[in-house]
Amino acid sequence: MNDSRRASIKRPPTPDAEEEDEDREPTLEEIINIKLIESGEKERLKELLRERLNECGWKDEMKSLCRSFTRKKGRNNVTVDDLVHLITPKGRAAVPDPVKAELLQRIRSFLHSTAL
Amino acid sequence: MRALIILVLITEFWRIMSAPDEDNHAQVASHFFGELLDSVIMDVASECHRIATLGLDRNLDDEEEELRLSAQARARVADPSNSEANSKYVVDIFGQTHPAVASEIFDCMNCGRSIVAGRFAPHLEKCMGKGRKARVKATRSSTAAAAAQNR
Repeated sequence: MNDSRRASIKRPPTPDAEEEDEDREPTLEEIINIKLIESGEKERLKELLRERLNECGWKDEMKSLCRSFTRKKGRNNVTVDDLVHLITPKGRAAVPDPVKAELLQRIRSFLHSTAL
Repeated sequence: MRALIILVLITEFWRIMSAPDEDNHAQVASHFFGELLDSVIMDVASECHRIATLGLDRNLDDEEEELRLSAQARARVADPSNSEANSKYVVDIFGQTHPAVASEIFDCMNCGRSIVAGRFAPHLEKCMGKGRKARVKATRSSTAAAAAQNR
């Protein structure tokens, strides 16, 4: 009787969260991501991308797509998810090459500067 | 044959080991560009959803309303039961109906009499005509001009 009760209490120990992290090596991307965020460069890059996409009318294109979709589906039947799925493929394809090149160049120079 | 294989292996090994960081950088850069772009896309979708939900895009509703009204108007025009015989009860674009004869009463600005609006035009003919006749009677010297005026 005692044994079974003791058996029911016995549990494997809760895995120590810290131990897990130490076992796993952070990936290169994770390291760079942290450096990007800590240096503030990620925010600057995002602002730059937003500005360039605004200037070239990409944002207006995406908003127009959303508007016609909303008109068809009805103002209150549209979810954020719908819109994300709508504009993601078109958005990715519609980025002008010079904009993409500029951003990639900025990111690459950051990578160089962090001596990786 | 074995020499060839060894040669290929060495070449591949050398290619992989001496791959410039550039390739790696390009791949990582691409990854982060994708992340940034997805983030911007999410922001735009969020903004558009907000505009849609709050009805801030006035053009959206206005267009819908116009389309609906024009469809209604077209249906009414095409409807054969709406003939000119019913013109008394036809509704204009402001939603008003007008009786065949205007029934408002006001004062004639010429003679000061109370006139029904629907009878105002024929009244004016006589009213202003009489005034002119009076003027003609007063000025005998201009009978020629009066004769031309009087029809």
